[in-house]
This record gives sequence, C-alpha cells and structure tokens, in this order.
Amino acid sequence: MAKDFTVPPVVFPSGGTPATGNVQQRRAPTAPFQPPRPSSSAIPFMSFDIGSAAVASSAASVGPFGGTIASSSSFGGGAASFEDEEPLLDELGIHPDQIWKKTRSILNPFRINQSVHMDSDLSGPIFLYLAFCLFQLLAGKIQFGVILGWIVVSSIFLYVVFNMLAGRNGNLNLHTCTSLVGYCLLPVVILSAVSLFVPQGAGPVRFVLAAVFVLWSTRACSNLVVSLADGGDEHRGLIAYACFLIYTLFSLLVIF
Amino acid sequence: MYNNVGPQPGMPIPSGNPKPNPFGNAFYGPGSGLIRSGLGAYGEKILGSSSEYVQSNISGLLSDRQYYFQVNDQYVRNKLKLVLFPFLHRGHWTRISEPVGGRLSYKPPIYDINAPDLYIPLMAFGTYVVLAGLSLGLNGKFSPEALNWVFAKGLVGWMLQAMMMKVMLLLLGSGEAPILDIVAYAGYTYTGLCIAVAGRIIWGYSYYGLLPWTCLCSGIFLVKTMKRVLFAEVRSYDSSRHHYLLLVLALAQFPLLIWLGNISVNWLF
Repeated sequence: MAKDFTVPPVVFPSGGTPATGNVQQRRAPTAPFQPPRPSSSAIPFMSFDIGSAAVASSAASVGPFGGTIASSSSFGGGAASFEDEEPLLDELGIHPDQIWKKTRSILNPFRINQSVHMDSDLSGPIFLYLAFCLFQLLAGKIQFGVILGWIVVSSIFLYVVFNMLAGRNGNLNLHTCTSLVGYCLLPVVILSAVSLFVPQGAGPVRFVLAAVFVLWSTRACSNLVVSLADGGDEHRGLIAYACFLIYTLFSLLVIF
Repeated sequence: MYNNVGPQPGMPIPSGNPKPNPFGNAFYGPGSGLIRSGLGAYGEKILGSSSEYVQSNISGLLSDRQYYFQVNDQYVRNKLKLVLFPFLHRGHWTRISEPVGGRLSYKPPIYDINAPDLYIPLMAFGTYVVLAGLSLGLNGKFSPEALNWVFAKGLVGWMLQAMMMKVMLLLLGSGEAPILDIVAYAGYTYTGLCIAVAGRIIWGYSYYGLLPWTCLCSGIFLVKTMKRVLFAEVRSYDSSRHHYLLLVLALAQFPLLIWLGNISVNWLF
C-alpha cells in the first residue's frame, strides 16, 4: 500500500524560494514524530541524532516505515533487539568466573582465602550438589533428595549453633551459611569421585581417605565461617566440631 | 535461670497447707504423704494458676536461650570430665547464684561448672547419630532411612528422659524449674552413650562393660543434680520420698540406655 506524502519543497537558506507560494510550507527536512531536542543535556536521554540521520538517509531508499523501525531500535525500546539483551547467566545471577574463583580457593587446603567468599551465592553450591549426586549415581546410589535435605538441615544447624555461641554480636545469616557449607562440600565431592576407584567394602583405605577429606572440609568451613562473621573468634574449636559432624555425615553417604 | 524463687502469687505452698479435699478421709498411713501432696499440687494447678504455670514455662523456653550457649573450651572440657566421671568430682554440686536486679539468678556456664548448657547435649546428640550411622554401616545395614530412624529414636529417648525428670519434679510438689534446664540435664546422658557406641565400634565386647558403667555414671550425675534442684525448689524436705524417687530415676537409666544403645534398623528394639 502506498501512501502519498507531500514532499515539502527544499529551501536553501542562502538562495531564495523557487516558488513564492511555498513560504508556509517551508520547513527543515525532519523525520516524523521527532520530540523536541533539549538544548542542554541535563536529562541523560539518548539523542535521536542517529535516528534522524538514519531516517534522513533511508527516507530516500526505504521509506518512512524503515525509518521508524530503525529509530525505534536504536533507542532500545520495548521490543528490543537481540544484541542489546543482558546475557542469560548475568540475568540469572550466575557468575561462572566467581564460582570458579571460589572453588579454586577451597582447593588449597593450607591457605584460606576469605575475601573471595565475601558475597555469598548459591549457584556454586547447587553445581557442587549436582556433581556430588552425579558421582553417587555412578556408584549406584540414587540420593538426590537425601543430599539436598541434609545440606539444608546441616546449614540450619550450623547457623543456629554459630549464632547461639556468638551471642549478641553474631551476624551470620542463613544465605552465607548455606553458601559456605555448600562450597566446603567440594572435598567430599572429590572423595566421592575418588572412592569410585577404590575397591568396595568398608576397608581401612576408604576410612583413611574419608578422614583426610573430611578434615580438609572441616578446616575450610570453620575457618571461613569464623573469618566471615563476627563473634566466632573465641569459639573456633566448638564451631569446628559442629562442622566436623556435618561433613562426617556426608562422608558416611560416600563410604557406605 | 529461675525467675521467681518465692512462692508464686495465687499459689500457696502445697505441703504446709493441707487442703480439704473430698478424699481426705481415705489418706492415712505412711504412703499417703506422696498422694496427698501430689493431689494438692495438681489441685492448685488445675484450679487457676495453670495459666501462670504455662506462661512461666513458655517464657523460660523462649527467652534467654543464649544463657545456655555461653560456653568456652575450658568449660566444655571440665563439664565432660564431670559428666563422664561424676564420682571423681571433689567440689560441690550447687549452682552459684547472684542477685541480678532484685531477683536471684544463676551464673552463666562460663563462670560455673555446675550450670547446665545446651551446647554439649546438642553436640553429644549429633555425635550419637553419626556414630550410630558408622556402626550401622559397619554391619552392612546403612541407608539414609535407617539414619533417620536413629535420629527419631534419639529424639524420643531425649524426650523420655526429660519427661521422667519433669514428672519427678512434679510429683515432689513443684515443677517450676525452667524446661530448658531439664532438657539440658537430660541431654548429658548422650555423652556417655556416645562413648559406649564408640567402644562397640572399636571392639565389640567392650560394649558390655561400657554400657553398665555409662548407666551408672549417668545415674549418679542425674541424682546429684536433681538433689540440688529439688533442694532449691521444693519447700518441704521429706527425705525418704525424695530418696526413693531419686533411686527410681537412677535405675530407670538402665533400660533407657540399653534401648538407645541398641542400634538396629527397626527402632523399637
């Protein structure tokens, strides 16, 4: 469908008008529906220069429809283009590099780096939980619900014990607690992967292996919990024993 | 922490005031004292002060939980020595009280070895569950469901122990001890039980020696503690009745701990 637009006569400011009767039709060539451009840039608003330039250039070739679409896409309005969307992982709040950094900090059993764990997230623990369940599945045990339930219960347990011991100035919150318990599950995940290759049955090798990894987990978790929340400094041993109980419980799932 | 040491308003001292009850003619003889004061106590509670009773217990439960967690390493070590070897304790068993704001309250566990705390019972219970799981696994019967049953059985055992002590306090005329104190005292038996289960894991026959010793130690600890609690709480000190009930409490440890120590898949026995 074609629409007839009266093309206004082009008026050059230096020269005179071609026809005398077109004075009232004289106007600068602008795109339709242009909002008034503010004189000062007080309002940070994306200017329509790009849009009008595109319109002015495409008006001759595509027509007004192409012009409006180009101008609307350049300021990213309601039906935005694909390139301007946020990446999916960012929108979900999953930051793989941060997860990798945190996981790598737990991998070193001798030095605890607490600065990377300052902001807690739950996507790393979920990933570790899935890895744990996968290794248990490879060992023939379907324990998805059990492990998730035990993670929840043990993080509530650690939260209660820490805040009760720390007294008035204990400020561990449940999100941080769950995040720490989840991340420090990494040695147990490694244990379940390694124990796939150790012969079945309750031999001493399995127990010694489990003991090493459980102690690693306990050390990491108690040091992180004490350094990230106030009030736990004089209760290190007591909190470490609570963490030890939690990770021994998980290692029972792996051994037997 | 005891919020009121004197008699509660509206509740006269039970034993010094024989109420005229419809059964008054039937109670003569040496065994009647228990029944009379027991009914007297319940009469007061049923008649009108029951709301105060409930309120004082609920407020004791919900407020001031952090009193029971003011512990440190040294207290935990010494308290474990006290619970596991109560006959070796040379000091006294009474709690140190201090006047705080006009009321008499007890010192927190850091300053007083005889004060109850909730950290040790909680950790002992957790250790019992973990050791029970280990013992199940070594017998080839481990499964997460079995561990859930062990957890439930342990909770029931804890509640039974606490109820037994509470009933004993009620029978002797006053039930005003804070409920968390009773729960804490009841949970101390799990420390001895953990030792017995650990012994069973290490060498099977040691269990038959460790378990009676645990029952004995737990009995001695509870008797000595309850004696002090009763002395602080109950007005009339009728020593023969007290001693019989304390003996019953000590003897009841044996079936309870045998039931709890028998770790198997079915939870009844």
